[in-house]
Amino acid sequence: MTLSLDLCLYLCAAVFSIGVYGVLSRQNIIVILMSLELMLNGVNLAIISFGRYFITPEGSALSGTGASSSQIFVIIVLAIAAAEAAVGLAILLAVYRRWRSARVSDMRLLKG
Amino acid sequence: MDALVFLISGILMIASGLLVVTRKNPVYSAILLVVFFLLTSLNFLVLRSPFLAVIQVLVYGGAIMVLFVFVLMLLNLTEEELDEKVEPARKLLAGAGSVLLFALLAWAIHSSERIQAAGDTDLTGPVNDSAARAGETREIGQSLFSEHILPFEFTSILIFIAIIGAIYLTKTRSANERRTTEPAVEQPEERA
Repeated sequence: MTLSLDLCLYLCAAVFSIGVYGVLSRQNIIVILMSLELMLNGVNLAIISFGRYFITPEGSALSGTGASSSQIFVIIVLAIAAAEAAVGLAILLAVYRRWRSARVSDMRLLKG
Repeated sequence: MDALVFLISGILMIASGLLVVTRKNPVYSAILLVVFFLLTSLNFLVLRSPFLAVIQVLVYGGAIMVLFVFVLMLLNLTEEELDEKVEPARKLLAGAGSVLLFALLAWAIHSSERIQAAGDTDLTGPVNDSAARAGETREIGQSLFSEHILPFEFTSILIFIAIIGAIYLTKTRSANERRTTEPAVEQPEERA
């Protein structure tokens, strides 16, 4: 049994779509932030899969940069995900303190 | 064998991801999200990224999840607040949208010549000699602090700004200070 690149990418697409479903269908801000993490993880896995393909003998001809570039990319995505979660949860705390609600549909101050 | 591990953990990833977005109680979502992160780190191991697998468990499974669970416990939402009152039409629309997105992505993957040309390559197979050490901590460290030093520094600035923002947003002013600075504004009731 072999593991091909497109199989990995289908998995990543599925995980990303599940995250999109969570963001669109939920009202609780905490769960929406969790779904965002799900989407970021799907993308990370795609980057890692491409990086793995580019260090195989067949794929290394296509790779222009160093073999560790994909890993660096994922590390930076990870750091940004951490920053996003921290700021998102801080906003949630501030909003909850003001309006006593964690539902996104209760936040319509900017609605025209 | 590696491919089988990847496949099984991939299926479990999809299952736990679906459970994360469908559970009513966010605490269950958080616990299932930890399972999801652990399975992702297993897949990173299969794809020869041992350093990232460890970082995934430490940062996602540890730090970020602690943050989520901490906020969940701090808010202590009641049954009534947890009831999201999402109408079925909206759920159906969201489901249709995400299935459509998946179909679009799958079609893009399926019709990409380069990805299909790579179809015969086994991702658990041997690697190029010049990249034999890729993914190891030493290689990543050297690459991060020489070739990619600029993105690294920008990321550190971003995290610094995020810390300041998080502290500013969650800061509560003392009652005394509030009275002197904004007497006319209606006060939000204090939390019991």
